[in-house]
Amino acid sequence: MSLPFNRRSFLRGLLSGTAVFVGLPILDRFLDGNGTAFANGANLPVRFGTYFWGLGLTDTPTGGTRWVPSKTGHGYEIMPEMESLKPVKEKVSVFSGFRAIGDGRPNLVHWSGHASILSGIAPAASGRFDGPSFDTRVADAIGTSTRFKVIDIDASMSRQPVSYSTRTGAGFATPETTPLALYTRLFGAGFQDPNSDDWKPDPSIMLRQSVLSAVTDQRQALMAGVGKDDRIKLDQYFTSVREMENQLAVQLQKPEKCGACVVPAAPKEMTRSASVDVVRANTKAMAKLLAMGLACNQTRVFNFVHTGGTSETYLAGQSKIYHQITHDEPTDAKLGYQPETSKLAGLVMQALGDFLIELDAIREGEGTLLDNSLIFAFSDTGYAKIHSIENIPMFLAGRAGGRHKAGQHIHTTGESVTRVSLTAMRLAGAPVGEFGTGSMKTARPITEVIA
Amino acid sequence: MKRYLIATVVTALAISFLGSAMAQQRSKSVKWTKTYVVEWNEPAMYYGAKTGVIDPGTDCPNGTNPEVDWIKVLVAAGYTLEEAKWLRNPANPTRSPVHGQNQMAFRGKDRANVYVNPTSTPDTGLVGVTGTIGEGINLDGDEKTGFTSPTGEKGIDNIFYKTLGCWKTYRGPRRLSSGALQFNDSMRNGAWTMVVVVTGEGDDPMNDNHVTVGFYMSNDKMVKDGNGNIAHDYTFRIAPHAKYEGILPARTINGRIISTISADIMLRDPGYTRDLELLRARVDMEMKADGTLTGYVGGYRPWEPVYKGWVNARGPVIESLTWVQLPAVYYALRRSADYSPTGDGGEKTHISFALRIDALPAFVMTPDASREVASVESYKAVAPKGTERTAAGSYFVVDGIVPDRTGKYKAGPDAVILPPPSGSTDKNQ
Amino acid sequence: MVCGAFILALAFAVVPPAQTSEPASGEARQIKVAVRRITETQYRHTIADVFGPEIKINARFEPERREEGLLAIGSAQLSLTSSGFEQYFALAISIADQALGEKQRTVSVPCKPANPAGADDACARQMIERYGERLFRRPLTESETLARLKTASTGAKQSGDFYAGLKLALTSLLVAPDFLFRVETAEPDPANPWQYRLDGYTKAARVSFLLWDTSPDEELLAAARSGAIHSEAGLKQQLTRLISSPRFEDGVRALFADMLQLDGFENLVKDPAIYPKFNQAVSDSAREQTLKTIIELLVRERRDYRDLFTSNDTFINRPLASVYRIPFASSGGWAKYTFPQSSGRSGILTQVSFLSLFAHPGTSSPTKRGIKLLEIFLCEPTPDPPADVDFSSVQDSTKGTVRGRLLDHMKNKGCAGCHRRTDPPGLALEHFDGLGQLRTMENGARIDVGGELNGVKFEGAQGLGKFLRNHPTVPVCLVRNVYAYGVGRKTEAEDERYLSHQARAFADNGYRLADLMAQIASSPEFFKVVFPVGVQRAPSTPASATTPIQKSEGDFR
Repeated sequence: MSLPFNRRSFLRGLLSGTAVFVGLPILDRFLDGNGTAFANGANLPVRFGTYFWGLGLTDTPTGGTRWVPSKTGHGYEIMPEMESLKPVKEKVSVFSGFRAIGDGRPNLVHWSGHASILSGIAPAASGRFDGPSFDTRVADAIGTSTRFKVIDIDASMSRQPVSYSTRTGAGFATPETTPLALYTRLFGAGFQDPNSDDWKPDPSIMLRQSVLSAVTDQRQALMAGVGKDDRIKLDQYFTSVREMENQLAVQLQKPEKCGACVVPAAPKEMTRSASVDVVRANTKAMAKLLAMGLACNQTRVFNFVHTGGTSETYLAGQSKIYHQITHDEPTDAKLGYQPETSKLAGLVMQALGDFLIELDAIREGEGTLLDNSLIFAFSDTGYAKIHSIENIPMFLAGRAGGRHKAGQHIHTTGESVTRVSLTAMRLAGAPVGEFGTGSMKTARPITEVIA
Repeated sequence: MKRYLIATVVTALAISFLGSAMAQQRSKSVKWTKTYVVEWNEPAMYYGAKTGVIDPGTDCPNGTNPEVDWIKVLVAAGYTLEEAKWLRNPANPTRSPVHGQNQMAFRGKDRANVYVNPTSTPDTGLVGVTGTIGEGINLDGDEKTGFTSPTGEKGIDNIFYKTLGCWKTYRGPRRLSSGALQFNDSMRNGAWTMVVVVTGEGDDPMNDNHVTVGFYMSNDKMVKDGNGNIAHDYTFRIAPHAKYEGILPARTINGRIISTISADIMLRDPGYTRDLELLRARVDMEMKADGTLTGYVGGYRPWEPVYKGWVNARGPVIESLTWVQLPAVYYALRRSADYSPTGDGGEKTHISFALRIDALPAFVMTPDASREVASVESYKAVAPKGTERTAAGSYFVVDGIVPDRTGKYKAGPDAVILPPPSGSTDKNQ
Repeated sequence: MVCGAFILALAFAVVPPAQTSEPASGEARQIKVAVRRITETQYRHTIADVFGPEIKINARFEPERREEGLLAIGSAQLSLTSSGFEQYFALAISIADQALGEKQRTVSVPCKPANPAGADDACARQMIERYGERLFRRPLTESETLARLKTASTGAKQSGDFYAGLKLALTSLLVAPDFLFRVETAEPDPANPWQYRLDGYTKAARVSFLLWDTSPDEELLAAARSGAIHSEAGLKQQLTRLISSPRFEDGVRALFADMLQLDGFENLVKDPAIYPKFNQAVSDSAREQTLKTIIELLVRERRDYRDLFTSNDTFINRPLASVYRIPFASSGGWAKYTFPQSSGRSGILTQVSFLSLFAHPGTSSPTKRGIKLLEIFLCEPTPDPPADVDFSSVQDSTKGTVRGRLLDHMKNKGCAGCHRRTDPPGLALEHFDGLGQLRTMENGARIDVGGELNGVKFEGAQGLGKFLRNHPTVPVCLVRNVYAYGVGRKTEAEDERYLSHQARAFADNGYRLADLMAQIASSPEFFKVVFPVGVQRAPSTPASATTPIQKSEGDFR
């Protein structure tokens, strides 16, 4: 479909001005015939998010029947605690058997597990990470072309807001903890209506373009006196430079009017309660808002906490909180697992199912927002009863724009969780060579799920 | 018959006397050495059911001691039913397991703190083991006192097991009790390392009358292999320790190491107590064909530090999670303790106990790492300063509870339990 | 201090006349004889040298490619994919950010701008020229400098920050092909007007990458600038300086990491059920053990190269000690260790690195080990197996030793040709399993480690070690590898005479590696100009006043 103007035509002549980040909805007119890329060849942006829930699932480090599928590869069977993922099963990969490795540092309960996943280092003290969480790296890599580099959300209704996103290890992000707060952030003051007329380009992106033009201007001098084979090599180099220029140009694109981005109505404030059903409803409401925020390209990166590591959620009417049940409920001899714990685990996982379905409900191009996203869902522990940091459940949901060969169960015996973190970073498009320290240092992503 | 028995006893005593005399004159000509690292250690608890971890069995016919009805306990301690329900409601403050329900401490007479003052509340009677099979070692040499081992040996002295063996934290099959899982997980992730050195003067390690067994600490951490098990053949340097060291003379019979003379030793307890003092300690372990070592080291351990260890690990948390009333543990240990170090008539401050150990082949070096250890000797004299003190636990605990510093709802004997009726239900404190 | 040194250097430099933005006739006669992407280690070393070791580099470097046994030869095939360029672009931004960060800029920028909120061409030029020369490994042309000045000043004006503009200029240098690729240039030889020679900067780069695995430092650049590097004495002076420096170890490490194919460690996996001891620590340690051994024996102790096959002097650390099943008698990280004769080990062939790299995840592989041994140490590559291999007589790996299973290959005519050569050396190493652990039995059967090659019999690893030590091709193969590594292309038939001459000198010098590298780097063949396809050879006029650097030191312009 040809347009009366192209993206570059907006670029020329637009000089200095105040930088305003504007959401760039994915208008079908910009897509190529297949609906899988922009008309000029640039791909639909991949969104990345972390989703955390506390207290793991109910298989022990040595095995179980509650969540680790027996089949590996494609076509894994839906296990009891994963029932809620059934509608999106083909878009979710399951990772089992991975562990956090402390290299002698003590296992700080409800902390070391996800600190290791996020920072790659077993922390020395509870409440701190010994390095930045990797979502910051992804945000730095893919989050610079939207209004917000990252959005942090905590749906857990905990006593203190919970966030595990940090750049320093000491200070963590301040999340939005209610639907109303999230709505205000995304769509309140500062939101640029895509239908507005006073938009200006971002000077820092334009400056990066000058970096590249200084290189391309030397092309002729470089090619002088070069042999045939070397000419081919240098041509490929300059092609790569051109693609980078293109990327920058896309980011300076003035948005078109858009029907997909629908500014939602302000939500009602919810009564605060930490019982499982209320936290689930809160999660669903915030997931809906987040999904629209992603679709309107207010951000490409998010961190979502469903329940914290020391989760205090409980079944309404019961005296015991989920956390305590994980510790003192014995394994049922006939069933081979802790039944109450497992029931609660299933209820907690309902929220993840709700979350993914909200993302899947927004159509984008030929697929859905979920198809263009990668969500790394993980917990703090494998077997909460003994605070084990082995067999920590992790999921990668969303097709990452096609990069993620989803729908597989990857099982290992004791490899480091950082391998999945690294895989998530790669799928999200962050240029990371290696991740983790000590025994958790790895440069090997899980290539089976990378297209 | 009686004469025969007396003769046997006399002979046995004579042999052990002779052994002791020979020990004094033993030459240091060590001919073989086998060294190991302990990859699992737990109190020896025989599990009498065929399946599960808490099922009824020959040891505990009603299964593991059930969860305590705390509302009933609090009411019995003098709280009103409404107060008791409020305290046990998860939506209410100070309900977090991090702090436990601190108010639970104050259920003694006049709301005394039962953790530091266990006798301020009546003995509710901790249910113990009633079976006849137990694991451990015959400490007093008397076949008539004690359990029968699973392999039929008589006289196994393990009153610790008898007293506490139905308590959820201790009960379970090998390596499956929740306490053992927790502490060994910690050890295997590098919290501490214990090594075992076995030397002998004979030509055949499997049958040698002059064997010495040494237990030492090491600051080198164990390494997990690709399957999550502890890797074999790593090197560990002995770390001289002022307290944790044990040297026991023994002999081997077909690969089984049995103490000849007992000794007083101290080891690192795989539990909150930390110091595992074992008076009159003995070993009974097997050097297996696959190179591993497995068996028991037992002796009489002081019982009150056991109780205090649990209290200092946050009384309310321990009580809730492990289904026990700690004062009952105090009473039970006190009444069951079976040994007085000062002899008959003295206060029975100690209780018979055995630690079950599994160890893997490892290289053990002298403290300066210059060579492999070639003899079992003591390093206490060169232990660094600091090792004579018992390390503190990881929690800041005062009188068995974690003080609630931000405290809108401080626990205590005078605490007001229910919020004021004109309801600012401030649930987010 | 830095500023002063810079001015001094300028005073002694000779500014080449052809520095306009239009291609002058002199430049037009420059021929680019090779364009090779720099390796990851070369990139890292260069950044550390130029901007300091505190600069953090975290990026995914594009994979390299091995040709004729060496990544150095394969680098000539490589360009950059667009995702690769994205990596370098993000990396360049990050490095510029760090290098010109608030703390660093006092060191990295030799001047202060007149107005920190605006452009300052004079000050920017100083930084651009200084770093440009280090990064491009030659002085920038005026046109190249002007392009970056424009970037710097535009950036400074638009963002209101001089340093922001500088960062952009530096970024632009860091993504330029002249940095990311080694562009080797030939110029007309003033001594022989109808011939070409490599220009001084290309020679400096070759020497620097061979001996230090990094871009030329200030002194080498000065030798190129003054022309000293073209003289025998000047070149020797630089070679001696580089070889006697501790940084020579970096060069030797890079050489042997390439030759021994240690990049295989990046993706090495073992089956934890069969080799539970294998983990990342063991993998990293095995690689380091081999490189440490080589540095100790060949660089620090200046021993005979052939000792690598027979000497059991090496280093171990705690993880390796568990694999070798020996006690680790040290409180430090690494300790010297000598395997006793009784261990059956023999130098590099029986280190965990060689044994585990060239094996399967769950078992040893005599064929793999044999192939690599022949390729790496004898320069004899093995052709790929035929497509129609008959696997029907499949091995029952639960019975007997692998020798029996491999003997089936010897019976098959299509297979015997190669296997007769590759299997015997591999079988001699069969006392070591797929992780390098000692074992004398397999499936209950005693392992036979006898073998024969070229009519020479050997028994076990120690026999094989002696065999390689005494084999006349082994030193020649090293000579060939060092030369090919240094010049970045495979050797041809016409190089044979030169290589055997060098091999003789190598033998006469007691097979000492440093002497060999100095010998090769000082020989004219090291700087031989090989014209690429599609490039006009002869200059149209004799080289005269238009040739750049030909003055001796001390001349001013």
